[in-house]
Amino acid sequence: MKRAPDSVPWNNSTRILCGGVWSLIAIVLAAQSGDARAAPAPQSKEELAKAWRDIATLPDLWQGTWQSVSPIADDFPTPPDYTPSAFEYVKRYKPVEDSPFANCKPLGLPFVMNIGGMPMKFFQSPGMIALYIESSGMTRFIHTDGRLHSERPNPTYLGESIGHWEGDTLVVDTTGFAPDTLFQMGKLDKKTLAQGDPSPLSGVIFGPHGPNLRLVERMRLADFKTLEVQTTIYDDTVFKRPYSLPSRRYIRGIERRNEPQEWACTDNRDYLDPTTGTLEYNVKDKAQSR
Amino acid sequence: MKHADWSRDLKLRSVVLVIAVLCCSSIAYAHHSFALFDRSRLITLSGTVREWKWANPHTWLSVVVRKADGTDEEWALVGSSPNMMARWGWNAADIKTGDKVMVDIHPARDGKAIGELHTVFLPGGKVLADPGGQSGEALAGGPSDLPTKPQGIPYQ
Repeated sequence: MKRAPDSVPWNNSTRILCGGVWSLIAIVLAAQSGDARAAPAPQSKEELAKAWRDIATLPDLWQGTWQSVSPIADDFPTPPDYTPSAFEYVKRYKPVEDSPFANCKPLGLPFVMNIGGMPMKFFQSPGMIALYIESSGMTRFIHTDGRLHSERPNPTYLGESIGHWEGDTLVVDTTGFAPDTLFQMGKLDKKTLAQGDPSPLSGVIFGPHGPNLRLVERMRLADFKTLEVQTTIYDDTVFKRPYSLPSRRYIRGIERRNEPQEWACTDNRDYLDPTTGTLEYNVKDKAQSR
Repeated sequence: MKHADWSRDLKLRSVVLVIAVLCCSSIAYAHHSFALFDRSRLITLSGTVREWKWANPHTWLSVVVRKADGTDEEWALVGSSPNMMARWGWNAADIKTGDKVMVDIHPARDGKAIGELHTVFLPGGKVLADPGGQSGEALAGGPSDLPTKPQGIPYQ
């Protein structure tokens, strides 16, 4: 703060008033930046040591990696209460015959948590939990420093995640999604499907989500080997009421084979055109415009 | 074993294997196609490796098969991701151009010379099973009960 000239008399009331104004400005700026703290500052060695000690006692998400053991698609055991536009979309929806993700395009949340073939790994440091999802080579950054969501987060595939602990449960609240993240909005009734269809995507309804899609994930250890993640979807363009999905399960692996690996997706040749069933080679344009 | 017995044994094994695959494979596909290949069928190709591409999202094995009529046919076979395969004991250097291999595959539904890798039998006796379609438990735990010889119907 720039000092006023010494000639200007500063009495106590002026100082209090001035201090109050600056505090107010700081709070407004902090709110605009979406950060509960006015300005991040380097922590002292002692402060940092305490911060690491504080997070050391949190539930152990950290050892090894987590491999999905749930079906790739979510089940919607109770029919969602769709908005009229979503209801029309579902009524006209033709089930996908093939995987919409046989190429290198990132899936984004929420479906990136479903894909499963490879494990994911949690890391933490004071103020942040990172979740590396190998099947897309992407890392989620979950802020645990008490901040608020940004007012206008830029759209991203993984959104803006803020986490806090409720007892032993990590609650992660995420907003700010890109319009083209892969979104499952329901599942067709089994009776409408061809019998014996072995595809795990049978009847899955993929569709557009709204700009205000918000996910609340509750992550907790059922036991040392098992992580459960229960997600509730908030999207008033699709569901009249928030929809709570059944929990997904992941098992812990601590062998060398379970360690995380690099995922660099470089070969788009195997884009499979679901409309023709033909194998396409190097169809960059199609991969990009999925 | 007489040929008829061997053939019957092979067919029985194929049926058992296909049932096992269908029963246990509902979970862990990553970036895979579900429509192009017929997972209820398993055929065995014998041929020479033309190319082995170790890349994400999928590996690709190109095999030239000499058919009964003397002509050569090139097959393009898609495998799982290198990441998944590495966890199941595969190494990029396991397969080289020119190797004579036998490969069990799920063929394309439309009869094209493409398929989905199931198991590769290398000249030195090493057997590599593709983890595609296996359960999450199996992916995390590694392969078990590898076949010692091809299980598919021989492709002529």
